[in-house]
Amino acid sequence: MANRLLEVSNLSVAYGDVRALWGVSIHVDQGTIVAIVGANGAGKSTLLRAISGIVRAQEGEIKLSDNSLVGRPPEDIARLGIAHVPEGRGLFRHMTVLENLELGAFQPKARPRLREGIDKAYALFPRLKERAHQKAGSLSGGEQQMLAIARAVMSDPALLILDEPSLGLSPLVVRQMFTLIQTLHSQGVTILLVEQNIHQALKVADYGFVLKTGEVAMQGTGRDLLANPEIQKAYMGVLE
Amino acid sequence: MTEIPSLQVLLQLTVNGILGGAMYGVAAVGLSLIFGTMRLIFLAQGAMIILAAYFVRALFQGLGIDPFLSLPIVITVGAGVGWLIYQGLFRRAAAMEDRNVSLLIAVGLMFLVQNLMTVIWGGNTAGVVTSYTASGIGAFGIRMSFTRSIGFLIAIAGTALVMLFLKKTLVGKAVRAASEDMTSAALLGISPHRVNAIAFSIGLALAGAAGVAVATTFPFNPFAGFVFSLKALVALAIGGIGNVAGALAGGIILGLIEAYVQYFISGGWTNAFGYGVFLLVLMLKPEGLFSRPYKKA
Ligand SMILES: Nc1ncnc2c1ncn2[C@@H]1O[C@H](COP(=O)(O)OP(=O)(O)OP(=O)(O)O)[C@@H](O)[C@H]1O
Ligand SMILES: [Mg+2]
Repeated sequence: MANRLLEVSNLSVAYGDVRALWGVSIHVDQGTIVAIVGANGAGKSTLLRAISGIVRAQEGEIKLSDNSLVGRPPEDIARLGIAHVPEGRGLFRHMTVLENLELGAFQPKARPRLREGIDKAYALFPRLKERAHQKAGSLSGGEQQMLAIARAVMSDPALLILDEPSLGLSPLVVRQMFTLIQTLHSQGVTILLVEQNIHQALKVADYGFVLKTGEVAMQGTGRDLLANPEIQKAYMGVLE
Repeated sequence: MTEIPSLQVLLQLTVNGILGGAMYGVAAVGLSLIFGTMRLIFLAQGAMIILAAYFVRALFQGLGIDPFLSLPIVITVGAGVGWLIYQGLFRRAAAMEDRNVSLLIAVGLMFLVQNLMTVIWGGNTAGVVTSYTASGIGAFGIRMSFTRSIGFLIAIAGTALVMLFLKKTLVGKAVRAASEDMTSAALLGISPHRVNAIAFSIGLALAGAAGVAVATTFPFNPFAGFVFSLKALVALAIGGIGNVAGALAGGIILGLIEAYVQYFISGGWTNAFGYGVFLLVLMLKPEGLFSRPYKKA
C-alpha cells in the first residue's frame, strides 16, 4: 500500500453556529493527486482551511505523516510542509512577482534554496521571469494563478493544496493549468486539489472525494467517479 | 502680519517647517509600521517619544553622555522595549478580531507612561541644554538651528533605513506581505506574532530616535506626548497609511503648514489648521496624498 501522507478523520468544523463540515474523513497518499469536488457551499474550502489551520477543527483529527495538525497555527503547519494556495490566490498584489516568489521560500528550511527555487520557477513559467519586477496585481488572471502555484512550490512542500485553481480562467488557460498540475505531479509533488471543474479534475486525479453539504457523499478512483452515472447526472450536467 | 514678507522670511519659514515637521514624520513612520501589520493606531507613540526624551536627559545629566551620542543606546533600548510591549501587552489582543481591545491597551499604556513620567520627573517642563544648543548654521541670511538640523538628519536616516529594511531584506518583505494580507503570509510560514513584534520594535526604535531629536530641540513635559501622537496621526493621514516615505513627507507638510500659519495668522491657530487639514484630507482623499487609492471590495 502507498504511503499515507495526509489523513483527515471525522472532521467537523463550524463558523459560529453554522456547521460547515460533519465528520469528514479523507486521505492523501504520497505522490498522488487527490481531487475534492462538490457544489458551491459544499464545504470544500472549509476542509482545506481546516487542514492548513486557518479555521479551527471542532472535532476530529488531521495528521500529516506522524504530526497532528489540529490546534496548530497556520505558520506552523506551513513549516511542517503544507503549501496552501487559497481561493482567490492570496498573492501580495502590491509586491513584485519576484518578491512574491522569494516569500514562498521564507521558511528557514527553504531559504538556502531560494535562488535555485526561483530559477526552477522561471524555467517552469518563463512568463514570470519577464514580469519579475512587475506588481503581482498587474498580472493577468492566468499569470496570477501560475505565480501563486510557483510561490507555493518554492518551499518544496510535502503537500500542495490548490483551491479552485481554474476559477475565472479562460478554457485555454484552464487546460494549461491542468497540464501544469500534471507536470508538478510527475516531478513528485503530492497534490490535494479542489475543483468545480469536475470533469478535468477527476481526469487528472488518482483518487477523488465528493463533498455534499459538509459530508463525504462518495469516493473512489478518478476513473470510477467519472464513470459513475450518479455523478454524471448530478454534477456534470449542471457544471459542464 | 500686514507686511508682505521678504523672500528671506519665506525661506526661513520653509526651513523651520521642514526641520520641525521631520519630527512628526518619524513618529508617523512608526505609527505606519504598527498600523500596517496590526491595524492598530498606536496612540502611545507620542508618550514613548517623550519617555525617550527623558531617558536622553537622564543619560546626559546622570552619566554625562552627549544626547546625540546616546542615539545608539536609545534606539537599542527602544527596540527592546517595543518587543516587550508587544509580547507583554498586545500579543493576546492582536489575535482577536476586535481591534478596539488593542486600541484601549494603547490608550491605557499612554496614560500609564504619562503618569509614571510625572511621578518620576515631575510635571514641569524639562529640557536638555548642551554647549551647542544655541548654535546655528547660517547661509544666505537663513539660520538653521544646529540641533534641529541634526534632528532632521536623524529623521531622514531613520526613515531611509526602515525603507531599506522593508525593500531589501526577506524579513522586511515579510513585514510588507503581512501588512497586505496576514492570512496569506501565515500560509507561507510567516508568523504574525513575529511580524507584529518586529513592527513594534522598529516603531519604538524610531520613537527613541525622535526622543533624541525632541530632547535636544524642544522643551518637553510628560503631557506633550499626546499632542505628538495626534500630529503623527495627521502626518500619517496626509502621507497615506502603509506608506513609509509618505508618512515622513506628511510630517514635513504638517510642519510647513504650522510654520506658515504661525507667521501669517497666529501661533494660536497652528493646531486648528493642522487638524483642519487632517479632516480635509480624510474627507477628500482618505487614502492619503501619496498612496494608491483603496480598492473597493
Ligand atoms: N467565514 C465564514 N463564515 C460563516 N460561514 C461560512 C464562512 N465561510 C464559509 N461559510 C459557510 O460554510 C459553508 C461551506 O463553505 P465553503 O466555502 O467551504 O464551500 P465551498 O465548497 O468551498 O464552496 P465554493 O465552491 O463556492 O467555493 C457554506 O455554507 C458557507 O456559507
Ligand atoms: Mg470554495
